[in-house]
Amino acid sequence: MKNWLRDHAMWIASGGLVIAMLASLGIGDMPLSLDRIWAGLWNEDEMASIVLWQIRVPRMLVAIEIGAALAASGVVMQAYFRNSLASPGLLGVSSGGAAGAVIAIGAGWAAVSFYILPLMAIVGAFSATLAVVGLARQGASTERLLLAGVALNALLGAVTSYVLSDFTLSYERNAQIIFWLLGGLEDRNWDHVLMAAPVILCAALLWPLGRSMDLLSLGATEAQSLGVDVRVLRRKMLALSTVMTALATAVAGTVGFVGLVVPHIFRLMIGPEHKRLVPISLIGGATFVLACDLIGRSMGNIRLGIVTAVLGGPFFLWMLRRRT
Amino acid sequence: MISLRLKDVSVEGRLNPLNLEIEAGKLVGLIGPNGSGKSTLLSIAAGLLPGGGTVEWGGCDLDEIDRMERGRKAAWVPQDAMFSFGFTVRTVVGHGRFAHGDDGRGIDEALDRMDLTLLADRPVNELSGGERQRVLLARAMVTKAPLHLWDEPLGPLDPRHALKVLALADELKQAGDTVIMSLHDLRVAYYLDQVVVLSEGNLRAVGNPHDVLTPELLFDVFGVKADFVSSLILKLP
Repeated sequence: MKNWLRDHAMWIASGGLVIAMLASLGIGDMPLSLDRIWAGLWNEDEMASIVLWQIRVPRMLVAIEIGAALAASGVVMQAYFRNSLASPGLLGVSSGGAAGAVIAIGAGWAAVSFYILPLMAIVGAFSATLAVVGLARQGASTERLLLAGVALNALLGAVTSYVLSDFTLSYERNAQIIFWLLGGLEDRNWDHVLMAAPVILCAALLWPLGRSMDLLSLGATEAQSLGVDVRVLRRKMLALSTVMTALATAVAGTVGFVGLVVPHIFRLMIGPEHKRLVPISLIGGATFVLACDLIGRSMGNIRLGIVTAVLGGPFFLWMLRRRT
Repeated sequence: MISLRLKDVSVEGRLNPLNLEIEAGKLVGLIGPNGSGKSTLLSIAAGLLPGGGTVEWGGCDLDEIDRMERGRKAAWVPQDAMFSFGFTVRTVVGHGRFAHGDDGRGIDEALDRMDLTLLADRPVNELSGGERQRVLLARAMVTKAPLHLWDEPLGPLDPRHALKVLALADELKQAGDTVIMSLHDLRVAYYLDQVVVLSEGNLRAVGNPHDVLTPELLFDVFGVKADFVSSLILKLP
């Protein structure tokens, strides 16, 4: 059974993504059949076309981008720290991105240019990454890694709360900040699709690193002895995973547990080899976020971040229990 | 064929400056008590630990050899490896061909040689300490490197596999490769061409084990009284 799953995992994941994409386009306040989706995409059904091209297609694409980005980021962090519990959310990188975005909104910089918010998210995420690398180090025990993440998340949470508690902020800015804290895909448009588009480039740059990441996940010294330039590889891994997390956070706020749940499930299915794990996690992450968004939408517009937390939280506890 | 030369190598607090030259095609043992600097010396020789002095492989300064070339020239076996993820035994052994473009050559032979064929599809993180050590040695085999640096390769092995590893080391030596391994079992030192004795980060002696391992030196270095008597000798059938 395990061999069958491993051999067919890519097909299963791709099939799942196609189904999730169609469901994402079809399900909503105005349900669309497959025929109407097809007609709407080709502008042959005016109403369906407006709903699809102005609302559902950009929302679906943003979901795909951030799901793929967060899952790939989780894979990279797990290889870097040699720990399957490492993920952008638990380590505080997502919180760093959110804190950067919140500062940009609170200070009013986000209103100056559309690109300041993602830039600030990247700055925040990179600061958090550097802090967690310093605190946890490679090969750190699960306890040390989690404690570093707890400390960093608490610190960044305080930054966010401080900005939120600033009574001089307008109601509108406060609402925007709460959006980041909850994470969601409401009102995402083509600008957001473009904002997160560099995720595709990051994924393409990540793919060839798979074999070196295999060796690094055995230990830096071993990887070095086998011919890997560990310093360069680590820098690339940190840069790519941080940019992907930051972009995902910039367009959708804090969406937790994707980088933890998705790589773990696929590692169980196909094994830990990154040449296969990276692409399948990209697809799986996109499917997972689309599915969570659909669940939220069909349950009265529950925010995406809440759904991923409700599903991911128990999964994380199961992983922790399994380890101990 | 590759020789090893260490000039004034040192690591603060762990290894005092020392010079050492090992000819190509020799089987060499590093011995000394815990904390004497054996692993540090091996790591420096492998170019894996920064420190003072210079390291030369085959007369070439290590700093001038790029990473990939190093991966082809030297095989390093760590004392123990903690595998965080469940790579299969075959995959980990195959990592030895990374610097050769992952051509997969010699993997089956190495698995067979280390009695790992039946374990080839098992995740490495489910193996015993001895089995893991054999995986690392098989990985070193597939590198086809002319210089082998093994850190306590025999520690977790049962007697039969320890003898198999010594036989492998001897074969590598016959083929012109240089094998340097750290040891705790002093009886094994007599299988080797040369021993390097370390104590408290200092080089104490270098030479043929029969000449170097005197009762006086062993008492001085290890604090043990050595009686040279006939004892149980194990050999492969």
